[in-house]
Amino acid sequence: MDEAPRNQYSQGEKDRIFHQEFMPHVNSMHNFAYRLTLDADDAKDLVQDTYLKAYRFIDSFQQGTNAKAWLFRILKNSFINDYRKKSKEPSKVDYQEVESYYNSDDVDRQITPDLRVEALKDMIGDEISNALNSLDVDFKTVIILADLEDFKYDEMATILDIPIGTVRSRLHRARNLLKEKLANYAKSMGYNNS
Amino acid sequence: MEEPDKSKMKTDCPEKQQCMQLLQRIMDGEATDAERQHFIEHHLNECLPCYQEYHLEVALKEMLKSKCTGKAPSDLVEKIKSAIDQNTIM
Repeated sequence: MDEAPRNQYSQGEKDRIFHQEFMPHVNSMHNFAYRLTLDADDAKDLVQDTYLKAYRFIDSFQQGTNAKAWLFRILKNSFINDYRKKSKEPSKVDYQEVESYYNSDDVDRQITPDLRVEALKDMIGDEISNALNSLDVDFKTVIILADLEDFKYDEMATILDIPIGTVRSRLHRARNLLKEKLANYAKSMGYNNS
Repeated sequence: MEEPDKSKMKTDCPEKQQCMQLLQRIMDGEATDAERQHFIEHHLNECLPCYQEYHLEVALKEMLKSKCTGKAPSDLVEKIKSAIDQNTIM
């Protein structure tokens, strides 16, 4: 977040921006927070902290720009700085390790797992949600941003502070990992994928 | 989209890598209209692996949206509003 104030909004303008531009994203924000923390109380605290920070730094929000992306960036940074450390289940995989492994010689290598639409559509319970939750946080994040929230690559690059090329390759990897988990699940349920 | 005759489709895609990259960009709304139109209206009618992959990606995206989104707890909205009010007074 660029915290340098660019504007000096009046109290009325601040309230209008907060209620009309920030609050409508509360469902998406809560979903993101819950999937990052995997804890109902932590998720609520994280969303509340994010909104308080957004209000405090509202002068650095430029009207007409994407409020949702601005809020998601604050939430992501708050999670990394304040919650990831105390998370009950810290990320088991070292970030650099993941990135260098998946960005190694062949980023576009195809490891498309064998999963069929029919098997996927029979997953009517929590299988997909659980599979998403079980991904490493960096992979989970790009799927949430792209598939649940419809952010564009350039917006994701800004939210995550990474180059667009990394967004693209990480998203590709993340989708393959998710499909791999779902394919394993389908297999365990007796689906013949071949 | 009309279902193509699968028996007449190619079972191996000669440009699988490029196609998968394009498919990702189509799914993410980053492909051009021409790319999108060509892939969906022409390529998918003749290439079975890409046809299957496209439908899997579409189904996965739909499933993610329907299974992995939800509403924030109602007390959270109230908590935020009252926290802001207190913050404003302070």
